[in-house]
Amino acid sequence: MLGQKLLPWDYGVRNLFRRPSRSALTLGGLTIVVLLVLVVVGFIRGLEKSLAATGNPNVVLVYALSSAADVENSSIAGRTPALLSASVDGVRRQHGVEYVSPELYLGTRITTANMPEPGMGLVRGVTTTAPLVRGQVQLAEGTWPQSGEVMVGRLAYSKLGADEQDLAIGQQITFDGQTWTISGRFTAAGSAFESEIWAPLTELQTVLKRQDLSLVAVAMDSPDRVADVDMFCRERVDLELKAVSESAYYASLQTHYKPVRMLGWVVVALVAGSGIFAGLNTMYGAVVGRTRELATLQALGFRRRAILLTLVQEATLLACAGALIACIIGLTFVDGAAVRFTMGAFMLTVDSVGISVACGVAALLGVVGALPPAIKAMQLPVVEAIKSI
Amino acid sequence: MSLVEVINVTKEYANGEESIRPLDEVSLSVEEGDFVSLMGASGSGKSTLLNLIAGIDLVTSGEIVVADTDITQLSRGKLADWRARHIGYIFQTHNLIPVLTAYENVELPLLLLPMSGAERRKRVEIAMAAVDLTSRASHYPRQMSGGQEQRVGIARAIVSNPTLVVADEPTGSLDDETTEQILQLLERVNNELGMTLLMVTHDADAGQRARRKIRLERGRLMENGKELHTAKIRTA
Ligand SMILES: Nc1ncnc2c1ncn2[C@@H]1O[C@H](COP(=O)(O)OP(=O)(O)O)[C@@H](O)[C@H]1O
Ligand SMILES: [Mg+2]
Repeated sequence: MLGQKLLPWDYGVRNLFRRPSRSALTLGGLTIVVLLVLVVVGFIRGLEKSLAATGNPNVVLVYALSSAADVENSSIAGRTPALLSASVDGVRRQHGVEYVSPELYLGTRITTANMPEPGMGLVRGVTTTAPLVRGQVQLAEGTWPQSGEVMVGRLAYSKLGADEQDLAIGQQITFDGQTWTISGRFTAAGSAFESEIWAPLTELQTVLKRQDLSLVAVAMDSPDRVADVDMFCRERVDLELKAVSESAYYASLQTHYKPVRMLGWVVVALVAGSGIFAGLNTMYGAVVGRTRELATLQALGFRRRAILLTLVQEATLLACAGALIACIIGLTFVDGAAVRFTMGAFMLTVDSVGISVACGVAALLGVVGALPPAIKAMQLPVVEAIKSI
Repeated sequence: MSLVEVINVTKEYANGEESIRPLDEVSLSVEEGDFVSLMGASGSGKSTLLNLIAGIDLVTSGEIVVADTDITQLSRGKLADWRARHIGYIFQTHNLIPVLTAYENVELPLLLLPMSGAERRKRVEIAMAAVDLTSRASHYPRQMSGGQEQRVGIARAIVSNPTLVVADEPTGSLDDETTEQILQLLERVNNELGMTLLMVTHDADAGQRARRKIRLERGRLMENGKELHTAKIRTA
């Protein structure tokens, strides 16, 4: 290929402007394809990131053995936190506070001021130790909830299907027959907590007429201490508890959502595949109409490979322009867009992986879309092609 | 040896059961600097012979030797390189590249040859001047008349100073006045630039302008009423 005489670069570029409306349509189609790819990859990456950011290997979750890893179904005795801190060594302790967070966790219907229909939200009843154990959680604005108050994760509105304004500080929301005032808004480094609503534990228990807990989250001094908690739960069979490190818990959720992610990649492949067909179609049109011209180039002495390369270059140029536009749109509008999902809400993420995949798909569209028509056009003998109109 | 030696060339097209043989063991020698016209009825095989000599078609049997190279032995890639070096092709319908200007169209064959940008520019300018189109250098084909387009086509064919210039019905789609212009131009290419010229035409008047006039009849080549024989037989 090197050392071979190529057609001027200009030739390919100018050919794109030969039929501007067709090139523009193709560009539009390619842009949409690449944008779709970007959205789907953004979805997959956002989901992965949200789950990965949630798991902390130092933290162990203790919940009911019978709940089959579904914390919403878990019910454990209210005395479990005290029992754990008394029986297990290696629980983290600082400034006289033990890092043990009793929590009540449930999905429930929540109404905001402006929502016609209640939406499904995730509520966690917490004490002041919760943010110590869940270190990612940071109060972004407002204050920690007092009696009759809740604080909301920054994506809670999306999980509810509400407006962001509905969950602004000072707004009121209703669930389980009680109206709560929003006192603060928190972030959690992209983790799943961001789609939750946190309420004071005792008050939530009163409202729900429950005395039990869903789980206890305990921060240990080191990840290997997690095994001690597990040992304790196994030995005290009577308590019917199960201990799992938070990172293992969310890793299992990752596997749980594996089919979803696989489906995402299938969609990427399908979208790219259909894009290739669209590209093929356009290139067939562009090449067939130029049979005689391509034969002339051969008659002048240009080798077939050089002409092939020019045609691929034309298509790839267009595909790259499409990728560029799609990435700009993607970074501006797609990146950070909140998505509702069963497990909570997360943000579409246009990162280096998404951009690489999108650009790869674009390059593929250019090359794979252009090669077959170009090869077909080259197969006609020059003497015949030169007579075509 | 002559510049071009066509030796016992046969071209056969298999069309299912029957086959057509527009060239049946034809032979022809063309001397350097000559101007040869090839005439004959439509469909007699004139273009076929021209394309074989120009190296864009392949013989069924026989040899074609141009400037001591038997081009029937070259691979497709090598043949392409050979064309770039040795053949200037003038088409009936000019076949200019629409997205390139007159200048760029003329420059195109030079991109295949090793030479500096300055050398290339000089050669294009000379070729453009030879066809009297210097003032149209930056025009695109669609901005020119048919005669001007054909002149650009001629400039493109001569720019690389080829061994042989071939023209297939170069005046076939032009009016009388433009035809005359183009024929005069071709005569100048032969006389003043000393290029060897092989021109296919079905127009008797145009054919008469050449120094040698050859006819193709029923698969055989005739000159002055006599059939041409192989170079080997002639020299024997
Ligand atoms: N690709 C082809 N397949 C079959 N027959 C062909 C092909 N090309 C040319 N022919 C036949 O060969 C004969 C000579 O064609 P051609 O050289 O184009 O004639 P001319 O240029 O003298 O008008 C014609 O009968 C034509 O039909
Ligand atoms: Mg012909």
